[in-house]
Amino acid sequence: MHTGVSLLIAKHFWTSVFKSRSLYLLFGIVVLLLLYAAYSGLQYHKHNDSRTDHQELARKSWENNPDKHPHRMAHFGSFAFRLKHPLSIFDFGIESYTGNAVFLEAHKQNMVNFSEASFSTSLLRFGELSMAMVLQTLLPLIIFFLGYTSIASDREQGTLTIMLTQGASWKEILFGKSLGLLGIAILFTLPFLLITLALLITGGHATADTWMRFGLISITYLLFTCILCLTSIGVSASSQTSKHALTKLLGIWLLMVVLIPRTSQALGTYFHPSPNKLEFRSVVEEEVIQTGDSHNPNDPLFNALRDSVLAAHQVDSVTQLPFNYGGFVMGQGEKLSSQIYLKHHNWLLDQYRKQNQLTRLMALVNPYLAIKHVSMAISASDFESYVDFQQQAESYRYQLAQRMNELQMKYISTKKISGSEGKVHVVNRAEWKAFPDFHHHNLPLRFAIRNEALSLLSILLWTFLSIGALMHLSRKAKAI
Amino acid sequence: MLGLLIIFTLGVISIIIGKHYLAEQEKATAQVIEQQLAHIERNVHLHYDDLGLLLYYLKFSLINESSPLSGLSIGQRDVNPSVLSASILTLEGQKYDTDLVNPTQLLYGNLDLSFLLVYVFPLIIIAFSYNLRSEEEEMGTWRLVSLLANSTQVFLLKKLSVRVILLLSVMITLFLIATISLQIPWDTSFLLFVTASLLYLLFWFALSFWIVSFQRNSDFNAISLLSIWLALVVLLPATINTLITTQYPVPEALSTIIKQRDAYHQKWDTNKRATMDKFYASYPQFESYGYPTEEGFTWLWYYAMQHAGDAESREESASMRDKILQRETISRNWAYVVPSMHTQLLFNELAGTHLSNHIDFLEYVQEFHERTRLFFYPRIFSERNAHEIDWTQFQPETWNAARDIDWITILLPLVIAIVIFSGLATINHWKSS
Repeated sequence: MHTGVSLLIAKHFWTSVFKSRSLYLLFGIVVLLLLYAAYSGLQYHKHNDSRTDHQELARKSWENNPDKHPHRMAHFGSFAFRLKHPLSIFDFGIESYTGNAVFLEAHKQNMVNFSEASFSTSLLRFGELSMAMVLQTLLPLIIFFLGYTSIASDREQGTLTIMLTQGASWKEILFGKSLGLLGIAILFTLPFLLITLALLITGGHATADTWMRFGLISITYLLFTCILCLTSIGVSASSQTSKHALTKLLGIWLLMVVLIPRTSQALGTYFHPSPNKLEFRSVVEEEVIQTGDSHNPNDPLFNALRDSVLAAHQVDSVTQLPFNYGGFVMGQGEKLSSQIYLKHHNWLLDQYRKQNQLTRLMALVNPYLAIKHVSMAISASDFESYVDFQQQAESYRYQLAQRMNELQMKYISTKKISGSEGKVHVVNRAEWKAFPDFHHHNLPLRFAIRNEALSLLSILLWTFLSIGALMHLSRKAKAI
Repeated sequence: MLGLLIIFTLGVISIIIGKHYLAEQEKATAQVIEQQLAHIERNVHLHYDDLGLLLYYLKFSLINESSPLSGLSIGQRDVNPSVLSASILTLEGQKYDTDLVNPTQLLYGNLDLSFLLVYVFPLIIIAFSYNLRSEEEEMGTWRLVSLLANSTQVFLLKKLSVRVILLLSVMITLFLIATISLQIPWDTSFLLFVTASLLYLLFWFALSFWIVSFQRNSDFNAISLLSIWLALVVLLPATINTLITTQYPVPEALSTIIKQRDAYHQKWDTNKRATMDKFYASYPQFESYGYPTEEGFTWLWYYAMQHAGDAESREESASMRDKILQRETISRNWAYVVPSMHTQLLFNELAGTHLSNHIDFLEYVQEFHERTRLFFYPRIFSERNAHEIDWTQFQPETWNAARDIDWITILLPLVIAIVIFSGLATINHWKSS
């Protein structure tokens, strides 16, 4: 194979596409969409600013509490507001469907509420216009439009036979055309990456980790672009007429982008039902009651606990203990109920993972799904990033509740077993400030990569597969 | 033919999913009714001598009834729960609880019949009609047709009507299966649902016929129709939604929850008399219960504090509600000119699964909360025994949205769209012949 011939063919393809006016129209539309998507991505700053403001507001009123009983503070509680990752300007992922705020208090794992979806009309369900969305859904169509005639129309017009008799090999033609198409396709992909880069630089939140993520995103989208170009040349070469090629390519697009994702997710959910909130709550509550309910004055487990504590300290009433017994019981209760909650919650998450499993496996046959998964995970806007937020918020909640229980054990009179009102049995307010505020740390990149290893593998496989398929085709293809 | 088979299979799957969804709803409702009784019984047994403490624990469930049509158009019901439980403590901290749902499922969306009607049927229509004329031309039969047929437009219309009939019969079959398996009554909502679907599909046929009337080749037709599809069902709704969410953000949501927390909790540290004065300003009928001493705990004071949480965050809460309703109004207005959006919103409205249905439900929850508090307040304040109360009256209440259906605003936008595109197609045909 002469690279020279391939380059010549690529150049010829390139100039012929540039002659058509429709390319400029397409390009214009894509640029408009890009600008709009970038604009809506930039709302990220507003979101984060507003959430940071509210986090500070909530913290300020936490710190402004006067001396009081620590159990009042355990119920005063704290909030965790979710911040978006800087790369969410590029890919919104599932962010609009996940909650953004959770109230953290003792005894109770509250829901993460106020997702964008809960304030939105059904319009949201048509999809969101992000830069990643344009690349994932529209780019394939554009490449297919530009590439479907590439070889099929040469065949129809007889120029293919001429090229072959003039000494060009099939391999040179196929790879030459692919190269030409890739050159044009990259003109569409690159602006998205460049604008993201520019926004990351001007946004001022990017760290070394962000650049790694951005690099990885760039590579995967470029590979995705390659796969699409090779596919459309391959389909065009194996079709009798360009009309056939177009029909096939459009069919592939519909299947990849519209039908497979929704159907596989719907089937996954159908086969792995998950409980609704009330069911879930009542199962957890039931188990807490069965195991030991610290709020029940006659609970056998906690009665036994009391007796053993009394025995260990060789006293006959809880008021004689060296620490506040109320704080101790609540600490034990919190520990027990949190363990039970976590057990059920982890089961629930696994159930969700099972629901997603089919769609994740489909990434192996559907590069659209593969890029979607990789892109979300790297932009920290995927399911696992959200789970990670939930877990961090829950562990902060637990620490907060237990810290307040410790304070109660230590500083509140051993005589004051129940009740938390008034200004007598109080703890110094310096303790409130001493307890740090909630800070969310993003899931490290290596976890995101590990979680989406299958999808990353799929993109690599598809790249090799489409090159291999084109090689195979170059040996078998016929001119007429 | 393959297209018909695919859409029929997907249709059946979507109905199965709808049935599954309705069954889940029914199960949840039944469970709620059963659990509430047990929950009340258990807590009454534990705390019968302390009504204030009992009502701290008791939760009352309210059900937003799912109409059978919601199985065809699940809409917002997957995020916004159909069952809400609330105690008589501060409501603002309780009423925004979303349901537990897999966010990935929300991202990909529900495969319900409304999705098929709005998204997939148009694709089949495009596949059926893009080469209506060009196919004959490309196979070389068009000259023959134009010689034999009196009018080529009548010929094309006949060809098109075969496709219309085929596709509409698939649609009607799916609706028939749905009515039987989901037990949908043949009421106004259902008939409107079917009529709107029918008009929406006819709109796509009219649109395709218009593109065909330009007499271009198959490739041109396919690409233009698919681009229009993409614009109508993906790009325009997404663009408009982004516009609405950026124009009407809801920071009030976060302010409300902070405000209700602070308003309630700070009362623990402030003067009891001031708290009671505020409470009596809202409910003068309880003034006779007087003022508790500044030291010590009473339920009267406790519930007055809880009420303060709601009272003082009312402004933020109302402004949040207004924002959300504004979003709904703007979406609705845009939808009048975008048939795909109009149809989807309409389906949800008919099924009672749209956003404002939930907002109305929350309004009802608030009304219930007020009513229940006013029932229990005097009983708690006068330290009555729990056994004096007839607890059987606290069955979960079911709420039904009142619907006023305006045929004209519902169907007119679709009819106009059909008239426009078939008119344009006819003009094109006249011009060419």
